[in-house]
Amino acid sequence: MNALIYVAFGTVFGWVLSRGGAADYDYIQGMFLFTNFQLYGIIGTAVLVTAPGLWLLKRRGRTAFGAALTVKPKPRHPGNVVGGVLFGVGWSITGMCPGPILVNVGEGKLYALGALAGALVGAALFGVLYERFPARLRLPALQVGTGDG
Amino acid sequence: MLILHQIEPYHWAVAGFAIGAITLLLLWVTNQRLGISTGFEDLCGLVIKAPYFRRGEIARSHGWRLPFLGGLVLGGFLSAATSGGWAPFWDLGMFDTLIGWGPAGKLVWMFCGGLLIGLGTRMAGGCTSGHGIFGISNLERASLESMASFMAAGIVTSNLVYRLGGI
Repeated sequence: MNALIYVAFGTVFGWVLSRGGAADYDYIQGMFLFTNFQLYGIIGTAVLVTAPGLWLLKRRGRTAFGAALTVKPKPRHPGNVVGGVLFGVGWSITGMCPGPILVNVGEGKLYALGALAGALVGAALFGVLYERFPARLRLPALQVGTGDG
Repeated sequence: MLILHQIEPYHWAVAGFAIGAITLLLLWVTNQRLGISTGFEDLCGLVIKAPYFRRGEIARSHGWRLPFLGGLVLGGFLSAATSGGWAPFWDLGMFDTLIGWGPAGKLVWMFCGGLLIGLGTRMAGGCTSGHGIFGISNLERASLESMASFMAAGIVTSNLVYRLGGI
């Protein structure tokens, strides 16, 4: 698939995150402080649209070009909760999740460069230390990874 | 009102519907499962040779994740450029009103939060997109547990920072 189609998907997605408030510090705080419904409405609507569509696509089992549709579920492990808590703290601190970090950089928010640098260093540390995390996290084998998303 | 040019955001139903439609189209047209945080591993893999960044999934996904990430930056740029012009800025909404640190403080604060995002999303195996939207829509238990953890930790942290005067 031509790389340009992925640039196009990313651009539209980034635009919607920007204009919806998902890349806005105040709207993210409003979600976590229960003072603003916007992000609950966005995520809830997105799931309500995606869930039945996904069910139909999987039932049909083919892409638009007739190839076999592949949907690989993510592995479940204690890292979901431990990593999930770490990310939740970071999401609150920055007001950004991974997509909006890039959207905010594009919008010209200079502080987002700090978040981007931190996220890359964090991901690098995770990959370099992968085999040293405690066994009780039961992370999947290195070749499998924790789940791609 | 958004921090960006103080414009009104789309109605949540419009933004939510658009995100759902993009997720479905990405799968239907390109056979890719929406997910952003793995793209950070792709970027790391460009310069770090550790075995984790050499696994098959990373090598296979460079072709779509890197252009997708580039598109996210471009989408943000176009959104700013068409709503009042693109210019770099430091405005951070209620952080400015209630905490009020300058640029250096913001960069350090954001870097620390970013570290937790990079480490946490990769340990959890996904972020708001891959777990919160795709995984939950696909009724995956790992995604339900991950998203519940993101939300719980975010709620506690924001309340500590802004309601209990933690900072």
